[in-house]
Amino acid sequence: MVNVEDLRKEAKRILKEGKVKYVIGYERGEKGLMAKPAFIKDPDDVDRLIWDPTCVHNLTKFLVDEKRRKAAEKKPDERPVGIVVKGCDSRAIVVLLQEKFIGREDIHILGVSCEKNGVIDEKKLAKKLKGKTAEKIELDETGNFIVTTEGGTTKIDPEDILAERCLECQANYPVIYDLLLGDKSKKKIDKPYKSLEKMESLTEKEKWEFWTEQLSKCIRCYACRSACPMCYCDECVVDTIHFANRRHHSRRKSRQDKMGGEIPRSI
Amino acid sequence: MAEQFEPRIVAFLCKWCSSAGSDLAGVSRMQYPPNVLPITVMCSGSVSPLYIFDAFNKGADGVLVSGCHPGDCHYIKGNYYARRRIALVKKLLEFMGMEPERFQMSWVSAAEGTKYTQIINDFVEVLKPLGPQNKLRRNL
Amino acid sequence: MKKKTGVFICHCGINIAGTVDVKKVAEKLAKHPGVDFAEDYVYMCSDPGQNLIIESIKEKKLDNVVVACCSPTLHETTFRNAAKAAGINNFQCEIANIREQCSWVHRDMAKATEKATKITKSAVEKVRQNESLEPISIPVTRRAMVIGGGIAGIQTALDIANSGYEVILVERNPSIGGHMIQLSETFPTLDCSQCILTPKMVEVSKHPKIKLMTYSEVQEISGYVGNFKVKILKKPTYVDPDKCTLCDECVRVCPVVMSNEFDLGLTGRKAIYIPFPQAIPATYTLDIQGCPGLLPIACGKCADVCEPEAIDYDMKPEIVEEEVGTIVIATGYDLYEKENFSEYGFGKYADVLDGLQFERLLSASGPTQGKILRPSDHKEPKEVVFIQCAGSRDPELHCAYCSKICCMYTAKHAMLYKHHVPDGQAYIFYIDIRSGGKGYEEFVQRAVEEDGVVYLRGKVSKVFEDKGKLKVWGVDTLTGKDIEIDADMVVLATAIRPSQGAAELAKKLKIAMDKDGFLAEAHPKLRPVESVTSGMFLAGAAQAPKDIPEVVAQASGAAAKAIAILSQDRLFHSPQVAKVTLNLCTGCGMCVEVCPYDALSLKDGKVEVNEVLCEGCGTCQATCLRAAINVKNTTPSQVHEMIRASLGG
Repeated sequence: MVNVEDLRKEAKRILKEGKVKYVIGYERGEKGLMAKPAFIKDPDDVDRLIWDPTCVHNLTKFLVDEKRRKAAEKKPDERPVGIVVKGCDSRAIVVLLQEKFIGREDIHILGVSCEKNGVIDEKKLAKKLKGKTAEKIELDETGNFIVTTEGGTTKIDPEDILAERCLECQANYPVIYDLLLGDKSKKKIDKPYKSLEKMESLTEKEKWEFWTEQLSKCIRCYACRSACPMCYCDECVVDTIHFANRRHHSRRKSRQDKMGGEIPRSI
Repeated sequence: MAEQFEPRIVAFLCKWCSSAGSDLAGVSRMQYPPNVLPITVMCSGSVSPLYIFDAFNKGADGVLVSGCHPGDCHYIKGNYYARRRIALVKKLLEFMGMEPERFQMSWVSAAEGTKYTQIINDFVEVLKPLGPQNKLRRNL
Repeated sequence: MKKKTGVFICHCGINIAGTVDVKKVAEKLAKHPGVDFAEDYVYMCSDPGQNLIIESIKEKKLDNVVVACCSPTLHETTFRNAAKAAGINNFQCEIANIREQCSWVHRDMAKATEKATKITKSAVEKVRQNESLEPISIPVTRRAMVIGGGIAGIQTALDIANSGYEVILVERNPSIGGHMIQLSETFPTLDCSQCILTPKMVEVSKHPKIKLMTYSEVQEISGYVGNFKVKILKKPTYVDPDKCTLCDECVRVCPVVMSNEFDLGLTGRKAIYIPFPQAIPATYTLDIQGCPGLLPIACGKCADVCEPEAIDYDMKPEIVEEEVGTIVIATGYDLYEKENFSEYGFGKYADVLDGLQFERLLSASGPTQGKILRPSDHKEPKEVVFIQCAGSRDPELHCAYCSKICCMYTAKHAMLYKHHVPDGQAYIFYIDIRSGGKGYEEFVQRAVEEDGVVYLRGKVSKVFEDKGKLKVWGVDTLTGKDIEIDADMVVLATAIRPSQGAAELAKKLKIAMDKDGFLAEAHPKLRPVESVTSGMFLAGAAQAPKDIPEVVAQASGAAAKAIAILSQDRLFHSPQVAKVTLNLCTGCGMCVEVCPYDALSLKDGKVEVNEVLCEGCGTCQATCLRAAINVKNTTPSQVHEMIRASLGG
């Protein structure tokens, strides 16, 4: 079992010793149920840190923001940043390290293990509660969720409200860490990648229709780009003119038209 | 009488082997249909997946990438990277429900004019019944 | 300023015009955006054709041109030179191949014309984005380095030095000579090996242009063709070669006896020694591995008796840095160890020898003064079995390849044995006889007809000791009979392997090795002496097993390649190289990993291109996720426009 006090103790220690600039973790959200990202600078503030199945966000994205902030400062604080990561989040850190975007010395990783559970899916929970609003959610010793609503408490089987990806997760502990809370226990999955089987059994036509339908939902809000830790390019491929040159739609062309002539290419 | 559909193929040929093989087919006066438009690149390893998708976006009915045989790349190992990348592109096209026959990779050496001719002939025949490619075509 | 493009469509007689309506193509191109001038002509590559281009460029003030004609492999240079003559950069000229890839392969005129139009438009789109480039010029350090002092290295060094360039010859042993100096006689002439090699060795030692560095090893190499920086470790010999008089007194008093590598373990030597009497440089060497110690001095006897005071215990290892323009690698071969053969006794039997050991027995200056005697009891062997292909042509257990020289040297060994022991019997077990060189076939026949060597076609399954003899179990496949011989001595023609340490050196030099560990040539047929790395050449058995005439020929070939570089003040390299857009590069390093020429490196978090090493293949360009690296004149931006033009857009 992960004891959140251990997490708070470690966070307090590294802040007090000046080892890190601040710690990125989770705290209780405004509405009272789901966790939200926390940025803790003061060692006395560490009690804000929580750890429970509502800690859904991948906090790694804030490391990208941190790098941008540092690059803009004249005399940046070179100390590392503390960050709380789950198993899945730690893999994002690994990719950033592989791509040399951040150095290992830039982060102090506080790893927490989901220990055969995971994070909940808000929509699934709402469906299960049939209209009642959840105020608190906890894990009991048998691994079931105890949900507190205004009408009392209900026991819910994790399989019903865990996020889809958690149901198929086989390694719910961080692969890289400076401190690890919880056990490195693998969840046994009968059939890994079960959700892919359905996809692969579709015919060519069905596949095309499936994807056309899914992609038709996209409204190009780029929230995905904002959330993904791997999206750190200064100039995104969907905006750039450096890849596929759309002569009729590029910024260059409209500038050209305005200026009445060809602009020398400097690509 | 409806005009028979003539597929348009964009072929990325590596300069040192496949383009030379295509030249040999020409020198030997072999005949193949004019559906294929060749674009010579330095190495099959420089063919980005974006070129392939761009070709489909711009209305190509078929795309061919041809390089040196494994082990014979003029730039030592460019064709190995090409092979891996193209394999992934092919899997992606299949996964999204695009007809996999529309995209082909081949190894053509500078001596294989006959092979190149055969590949083009076969490719055109495979594409004719599939009709025009509409899935990835965009008005750009 | 809008760029003006000129398009020239060649008829090529009827080669193009017969299937493509060239006038129509010119008409269509004249209407293409950016094309200021489009004309057709019957033979563009002719003088009038080229003049048409030159005059048009000058008159119409064209910025770039496209010539739609035959394959660029034929006339790209011709037309680029014409462009240059007209005053524009030669890279502002592109070729559209409408012959080999259009008019010659199609018959339908309408369709061929349409295709030719698209191909030409595609070339127009490319040339309009071409950068004007000048060839990259690099200075050349006009000295060469040869690594390896065997016959290959010696020949290469002499050829380069005789052309007037300084050569540094680096050899890790105390003397040059390699394996050839260990041989007794060489096939097919039965020349005394040392007699033909020592004059060359002396020439090397006396040559004013050759700097000989023996007992030295290459530690580190940096740089690129024309500008290599090499760090060499000069191991201390503890003997001053200028003072040593070769009196041999030190050897007499040295208390340490070690295995003599020159005789392949058949004899011993002292810790202070000269490898062989004709050693170049002519000096003794103190082997620190065998010496009881110099810090503090444990023995000191050799220095005591050295009258010329040549022994200097204070000698230190030295790191020497040399700058050279080209490097030739001639590291030679070693034999596959007998320990690998479970069927032939794991190398434990004293009387089972390999080819080089038998060579030392034959040698008049060898362990037995040229008498053939068994190492075990010094008796003369009367029945000697030679086993060819020991370890070669065996893909399952040992080496898959043929070692090329064993058939010839085994025939030689058997002949020489019979000359030494006329009443002895020599058997050779073989699979095939490969005797393709000049005089080789006649040589093998001599062994059979004149010297009575018995050739048995079959392999030997087992060799083992039995009552003081070596039992050899083999087969004669031509008669179908099993053969059992009670041999006094067995000689294994073991496989030729790349020299020990060649792999480590190849890694330092960053040159490729083939699947068997030999150094890889740039092209097996047409570029056998060049490595893939520009400026580094290969000579001798380091590249593949070969006999002495081939080694000498290849050494001279490598020398010629080296001289081609050294003879120039500056080298010119194609400027179509990679370029990094620094603000897009995030320093992930993926391009660095894929570059086949190691031309990319990370510096301060961004990628830097070594323009001299870059060959412009574009692998980095296709790997980059951020379009941060592009190859000049074949950028994605150009390809995308070419795709559009090809599809009629």
